[in-house]
Parts: sequence; C-alpha cells; structure tokens
Amino acid sequence: MRSYYLLTLAQLRIFLRNRQVLFWTLAFPIVLMVMLGSFLGNGNGVSITAAVVDQDKSEQSKNLVKEIEKNEAVSLEKSSNEKDVLSQLKQGDLTLVVTIPKGYGENLSAGNKADPFKLPVYYNETNMAMSQVGLQLVNNAVDTISKKSVNYEPVVVTESKGVEALNLRYIDFLVPGIVAMMIMSNNMNGVAGQISSWRERGILRRMQGTTLKASTFIAAQITARFMLNGLQAMIVLAVAWAAFGIEVRGSWLTVIAFVTLGTLAFMAIGFIIAGIAKTPESAGPIAGFLSFPMLFLGGVFFPIRDMPEFLQPFVQILPIAHLSHALRETMNVGASFLDLGMEALILGGWLIGAFIVASFTFKWE
Amino acid sequence: METQDEIIKVQKIVKRYGDFTAVDGSEFSVHNGEVFGLLGPNGAGKTTTLEMLVGLRKPDEGTAIVGGFDITKELDKVKEVIGVQLQSTTLFELLTVDEILHLYGSFYREHISIPELIDDMLLTEKKNSRIKGLSGGQKQRLAIALALVHDPQIIFLDEPTTGLDPQARRTLWDIILRLKERGKTVVLTTHYMDEAHVLCDRIAIMDQGKLIALDTPSELVRNLQSDSAVEFKFNDEVDIALSEIDGVKQVGSQKDIHVLYTDDLQKTLTSLIAIASEKELKLVDLQTRTATLEDVFIHMTGRRLREG
Repeated sequence: MRSYYLLTLAQLRIFLRNRQVLFWTLAFPIVLMVMLGSFLGNGNGVSITAAVVDQDKSEQSKNLVKEIEKNEAVSLEKSSNEKDVLSQLKQGDLTLVVTIPKGYGENLSAGNKADPFKLPVYYNETNMAMSQVGLQLVNNAVDTISKKSVNYEPVVVTESKGVEALNLRYIDFLVPGIVAMMIMSNNMNGVAGQISSWRERGILRRMQGTTLKASTFIAAQITARFMLNGLQAMIVLAVAWAAFGIEVRGSWLTVIAFVTLGTLAFMAIGFIIAGIAKTPESAGPIAGFLSFPMLFLGGVFFPIRDMPEFLQPFVQILPIAHLSHALRETMNVGASFLDLGMEALILGGWLIGAFIVASFTFKWE
Repeated sequence: METQDEIIKVQKIVKRYGDFTAVDGSEFSVHNGEVFGLLGPNGAGKTTTLEMLVGLRKPDEGTAIVGGFDITKELDKVKEVIGVQLQSTTLFELLTVDEILHLYGSFYREHISIPELIDDMLLTEKKNSRIKGLSGGQKQRLAIALALVHDPQIIFLDEPTTGLDPQARRTLWDIILRLKERGKTVVLTTHYMDEAHVLCDRIAIMDQGKLIALDTPSELVRNLQSDSAVEFKFNDEVDIALSEIDGVKQVGSQKDIHVLYTDDLQKTLTSLIAIASEKELKLVDLQTRTATLEDVFIHMTGRRLREG
C-alpha cells in the first residue's frame, strides 16, 4: 500500500517537475480552444458590417441611421467620405454601404407619395449571400420608416419561434471535444512515450529486480495520470468558463465518470503501443498514427454527422467519438449517465479489449 | 571448502539466445560473507549469469539456489534476500536522492533507516538533489544504496566501477569492503584486474560463456608457475622460437605483442637481448612486470581481458 502511495506521489512529482511537458500539454488545448472559439465561437449568428454616409444630416436621416442600428446583427460604421467606404466595400471589408443623399429629410417632410425617395445601397456582388441578408435588413429599416410616416397599421404579422431548446454555439460543441482530445493525447501518447523510454533506460528492469508487483506499479500509474488529467480538465473547463461562459449543464459526477473511463481506455491503448514500439523513438509516430485520424474523424472539431457516408461505420467505432459525444451530451444538454449507457459500454469495451491485448504485448524490458 | 556455508549454489545454468549460447552450463558456489568476482571480457557471459541469479532472465537449463531459495521456483523469496545494482541503470532523474530511496524502500516489507544509508554512501550533501545532477560516482553510490535499502544478505553488483574516475573507484572499493566487514555476501562482475585483486576473496574467470577457472586471486597467479612477465614488440615481423629463450616457461603471444613468462627475469632478458642483437631486430615497448591476473587470463584464453 505504501509503495502504491509513494509511486503515485513519485509520478506526480515527475509530472510537476517536468515543467515543459506540463506547460505544453496544457497550453496546446487551451490555445486551440481560445483560438477556434474566438474565430468560430459565435458561428450561429450572422453579422453584417455596414457603413452609412450621412450627407443629409437632418432629423430624419438620423432616425434612419438609428433604425438600421437597432438590428443587433448589423455593426454600423459612420463615415463622411463616400469614396473611402466604397473602396472598403470593394475589398470586402464591408458588406454594405448606405448613402443618405442631401435632400432626404426635405423630401420626406414634403411627403411626396407619387415619387418615393430613392436611397442608394451599395453591395459587393461577389458576396451575394451576405449582401442579400444585409439588403433585407436595410429594407426592413426603410420599410419601418415608410410605414410610420403614413401611419400604416398591419393586419397580419408573423411570429417566429425557435424550435431548438438550447442555443448552442460552436464553442459549446468545441470545449467537450478539446477535453476529450486532451485525455486521448495525454494518456495514449503519454503512456506510450514514457513507458517505452523507461523500458529503454532500464528503469522498469531495475524495479523488476525488487519485490514490487507489476499491478501496484500500473495502479499507481493510473492513479497519478487520472489525477493529472482531472486537474488539466478542470483548468481547461475553468478557462472555457471564464472566456466563453461555458457551463456544465449535467452532473459533474457523469463528467468525472467519463473522464475516468476515457483515461483508462486510452492508457490501455498507450500500453499496447509501448509494448509494440521497439524504441521510444518509434512510440511517437505509432501514437501519432492513431491519434491523428481520431482527432479529425472522432468528432473533436467537427460533428460526426458531417463526415462522408462511407467513413461513418469506421468513425462510429473510434473510442474518442464516444468520449467526446458523451462529454458533449453531459455538458451541453445535461444528459445523465444512464442516458449515455451506450457510450459507457463502448468505452468500457475498448478499455477491457485494450487491457487484454496490452497484457499480451507488454514487456518489462 | 565444502564445510563453508554455501549461500549461492549455481547448478549447470544455461542461457541461449537463438543459436548463441551466452552461458554454457556454469557451476559454482559462493560462500557466505565473501566477495566473489566474476571476471572476463565483454560478452563472456558475466552479466547474463548475474541477471539469471537475480531473476531478470530465466535460465534455459539448470537452476541456482540463492539464499536458500530456488531462482526458478521461489523468485519472490529470492528477491527479498538480494540487493541488485545493474549495469548502467538510469533512475527517475527528476526525483531526489531522498525520495527515490524512500520509494525503493517501500517496495519491500521492511527497510533500513534512510538517513543512515545516505550517510553510509557518502551522499549526505546530495540528499535533496535531483538524480539528474549527480556525478557518475554519486549515481553509482546511489545505485548501491538502492541495492542495500532492505538490508539484503546478498548483494549483486554488475560492473560497479565501469566508467568512473580513479578516485571514485577507490571510494566505491572502500564501500564494498565495508559491506564485507558487515558480513554481507557480495557478488560482482568486473573486467578490471586490479579491482578483482583488491576486492575479491575468490574469482571465477569466464570466457565465451564458460567458467574456465575459479580460485583465490593469489592462487590463480601462482598457478601460472611464473613470477614475472616480459612484454615487447619487434618492429618487423619475424619468425623465431621464443620458447627457446633461456628461462622462458610459457609464451603468450597475440598479434604482434609477445609476452614471455619466466621465474628468472635476468636470465630471460639477457638472452632476449642477445638474440635480438644477433638477428638485428629492434625491440619496441619492452617492459617487465610481476605476473598478474591479466596474465592468467591471457595464458588461459590466449586473449586479453579488454580488447579493442
């Protein structure tokens, strides 16, 4: 028992003293998360950058600008130089340019119904989809003003209702994936690299010369890695919470249960790699060979349903797919452990299968 | 000798790697409380023999009784009574001396006082240093400390001084001799003659997997039946019968170096120089010395202990 405790402590000390490894294994997921989260995090909403050139500067023109600004999807830039903003539009920095020419206010006060005032709106034809949305928004604003000026009363209105109960952003999707990725790389790549290097350097052989039992050694490895993973997952979740307001909607126990399952399953795969790899140098590429397809196909960054049809059966057996899916369901939707029985079963299957294979391929020297 | 306590009894132990037989049926006993040396060149099978005795390799044939337990059947019990220092072991480099000793201590049912052990191995100053920063000699003393942590009766040391500077070697010799004073049995491998001579009570000479001699160092040298050795080279290749030089008992020649063993150094030297002058040969690197274990080895195998 004492050797189990001291071995766990020794492994944790080695982790903590190896500052570089500690920093980079943590920095990579956090930087990746913050980067992808900032670029794509609000991916659900459409945002239009438009510029307005107010040449009229009347009460009415200011009202129009306010009306356009009301829409949250538009970020409006005010400018007095039409040429400037038009060249920005050509470069694609702006989606729309609205010019309010002189005489707009007067024309509106005059109330000439037969000849409505023409408001020029410039858009970039190469970006049609966005321009259409923008034009629609400006039309709405203009429409509102027109209707107000004639005291128009609508007889039919639409009421739009979202059917999705939760408003999920890309970052909500991403964070559980990042946690799953971290568990995979720390354990699979970490165990493969460390164990094969300890074997090469004779560290394992020296311990084999004592009365230490292999099971104690492995139990301590698992405990230490689980503690480290838990800590790293907490840090990533804390950063996600602070930077993007991500919360765990489901039970923390379920999250911990899947972190544990994932840790064990990927450690077992790591032990297999350590058994197969003849040198520590070859452990890295072998682990990379397994981890790269899992990163891109396993639902870490992109939803699995976006994958091509022929890849689906393959993707569905990857352990990371089930780990990231289970974490996502717990964190985003608040699924309970029982809802995720299938995922737990498949991860458990990987764990048992991999440990059986590992026990055959594992060598102390 | 049979009356002495046999703490290790090796019985026709064999280890093969494919077609290559690394250890070919060695048989010997180690007495309680002695320092026993396994001597031989690289690849002679010393390390393989030692690793079989400590349970790191399984013998293909034969067995050994170590501390009263059979290494093929009661390995767990063997491991409790032995301490091991392996050749070029690396340890967890990021742990400190104190931490790793406590760690290894925990692998056994009981362990001795760690601070005392650290003092004994002259590591007091390095107690809280990381293993990474230790010198070669300090690392080797730590490796021996790890072998002693559970107070074993028998200690196996595999080339404990290889790669150390002369002073560090002497420090280690002192430590090994102190272990003997405390009644421990030490089995060590080495390819240093002087080391075997200073430390070992008895020496087993191994060559190509076979045990070729086993005796005390002085007895081994005495069996050469010559006191002195004359070593030299000719600057040209020549063909003369060296054994006909006066007083020469044995000739040990390898490549271009010739060694003559004699009891009468003066007679042999005079005769050698006379022959050289007569045949107009130039003697190079001429030296004389008392016969050593190295000569025993050359005599028995026709090769040097440390070649190229």
